[in-house]
Amino acid sequence: MSLELRLAWRNVWRNPRRTGLTVAATVFAVFLVVFFVALAAGLHEKMIEDSVRLHSGHVMVSGEGWLENQTLEQYLHLDPSFEAAIAATPGVRGMAPRVIGFGLLSKDTATQGVALFGVDPEREGSVSTLPDRVQRGRFVSKDVPFGIVLGERLSQTLGADLGDTVLVYSVAYSLEMAYELFTVVGIVKVPEPALDRALAVISLPDAQEFFVYGDRVTEVALLAEDADAAPKLARTIAAELPRISSSPAEVHTWEEMMPELQQLIFLDDAGMYIMLVILVVVVAFGILNTILMSVLERTRELGVVLALGLRPRAVFRLIYLESMLLALCGLLIGLALAIPAVLYFEAHPVVLSGSASAGMELFGIEPVMTWKLKPWNPVGSAITVFAVAAIAALYPALKASRGRPVDALRSL
Amino acid sequence: MRASSAAIVVLLMLLADAAQGGNLEPSPPGLDARAIAEKVEEIFRGNSSYMHATMTVVSPRLPTPRRVEFRAWDDRPQKRSFIRILAPPKDAGMAFLKIHPNLWNFIPRVERTIRIPPSMMLQSWMGSDFTNDDLVRESSQLDDYDHLLLGVDPDPDTSESERAYVIEYRPHEDAPVVWGKIVSWVDAERYAPLRQDFYDENGTKLRQIRFSEIREVQGRPYPHRWSLVPLDKEGHETLIEIEEIRFDEKFDEDIFSKRNLTRRD
Repeated sequence: MSLELRLAWRNVWRNPRRTGLTVAATVFAVFLVVFFVALAAGLHEKMIEDSVRLHSGHVMVSGEGWLENQTLEQYLHLDPSFEAAIAATPGVRGMAPRVIGFGLLSKDTATQGVALFGVDPEREGSVSTLPDRVQRGRFVSKDVPFGIVLGERLSQTLGADLGDTVLVYSVAYSLEMAYELFTVVGIVKVPEPALDRALAVISLPDAQEFFVYGDRVTEVALLAEDADAAPKLARTIAAELPRISSSPAEVHTWEEMMPELQQLIFLDDAGMYIMLVILVVVVAFGILNTILMSVLERTRELGVVLALGLRPRAVFRLIYLESMLLALCGLLIGLALAIPAVLYFEAHPVVLSGSASAGMELFGIEPVMTWKLKPWNPVGSAITVFAVAAIAALYPALKASRGRPVDALRSL
Repeated sequence: MRASSAAIVVLLMLLADAAQGGNLEPSPPGLDARAIAEKVEEIFRGNSSYMHATMTVVSPRLPTPRRVEFRAWDDRPQKRSFIRILAPPKDAGMAFLKIHPNLWNFIPRVERTIRIPPSMMLQSWMGSDFTNDDLVRESSQLDDYDHLLLGVDPDPDTSESERAYVIEYRPHEDAPVVWGKIVSWVDAERYAPLRQDFYDENGTKLRQIRFSEIREVQGRPYPHRWSLVPLDKEGHETLIEIEEIRFDEKFDEDIFSKRNLTRRD
């Protein structure tokens, strides 16, 4: 075996220039694959994280039927035992109870339909970035009753600024008319234009009073360790719910709440993988070409060893080993270059500027390129490269081992 | 394959129609569905009307039904109306003014008038199962629909009538209508409305209004009790009981003014 390995190694480097070029092509391909898969992983993780931290959280517990109906009819009782049980669930990094209702906001003659977010001022920041997005003024607080924070675009359509009084108007859970004057205490800027046009944030106690909602909330948003941990956390909580919630409840992950995000990522991944497959196929032909050339050059030599009694299977193994060694060289050098590069960029995200950044901001994405090296990335690359080398070597190896010694000796 | 699925669809439609009009008798010849619809519209709207009524909202959310008392002035030809809430005390003095195509709501407790935008038209009116759209209904059950006489129901499920015409209202393509169709039962003798079933575009029945306590008012058989049951919300019902109704009165112009909104009686 070790003899075969030594032989193969020598054969590979018989033509250093040709082998070097093929190795270089493999290195290039491995580098690109690892680099771009890491970039996609980083960008997608950031997209998910940004979206999740906009408001939904990784996991959302809500009244049964909330996702389809989104009315006050679907609620949870936020009693202390329920809160404690959720907070004590392993993997819960933050929780934000909310009352979300729909209403009208009116100032002078302007009226606008809004999504009223009743949030717990202390706990909202543990899940969403809403409190950090305040551009001017302050976020809602329990100390200032009937304060309201408006999305920037909403404040512009209404012509409402800090200190102005706006009328909030809706139908309460008790089916009476709900109306209350609120004072604008802050303006938030939310990257999602549709939400920015309709977002009005008030404090949870004010929302419960306004909607005559008692201790109810429509949802409790949770932050998991990361996006990948969401399904497991959702399952854990779903199993606990019948025991801890006094009203029918349901659990959803970010994937269920934002299917369009999931689809966008899938499409993006699909596009990238098609490019990478093309790249890998080119590399496969490079390896095929190199090995086939070296086999054809050695027709006579291979004929001699076959004539001397070397078994065809051993010849096959030899050629195969050469191909694998070639791939291994490319893979090792490629990974040695790509992994440090990716790790560097993982620590130093690239902030875009100019027209590219404007385009990304339009879609509500922060114009930052981030990388993330997940373990399956180099492992997957290695498996791919070896698989490709194995397939590419099949034809030359078969050709070499099936040759008849007599024909081989006669040629050249 | 396609032909067979089309056949199944046709079959299902026939079955659905049969289920709906299963016990209908064919209508007598020479009857015009639109003429019947006109009579119903005339009973409801007249030229102008003044009404004093109580609305009762029943819901599983409420320990006791919620009662809202109001007066309403409706000026049909000029497409305007005015409603003043009298009770409950919390909402007393609240007023709604509709002057086509706008709807305003005055709230005395905060001394504000708010214009209700078109996007809120399908929201609940005063917490009831009626919508703002029902209140200001721009669409006309006469002009925005085609009328089709389905037949005669020999046993309408009400003590008010022995025989009823069943009419289907199909909205015109471009009509500002939220319903897919309306099926209406009309007393064959007095042409009084008995019942209306409202369907969405997919043919799902969404709500039913039953009219009862039909009493003669100025020559019209007018239902004094309307019961609306939304079929998608279990345990909900909204009842309107009309205490007084008068037709064809000459109204003071001042009633339909924004100033009247803020007046306190």
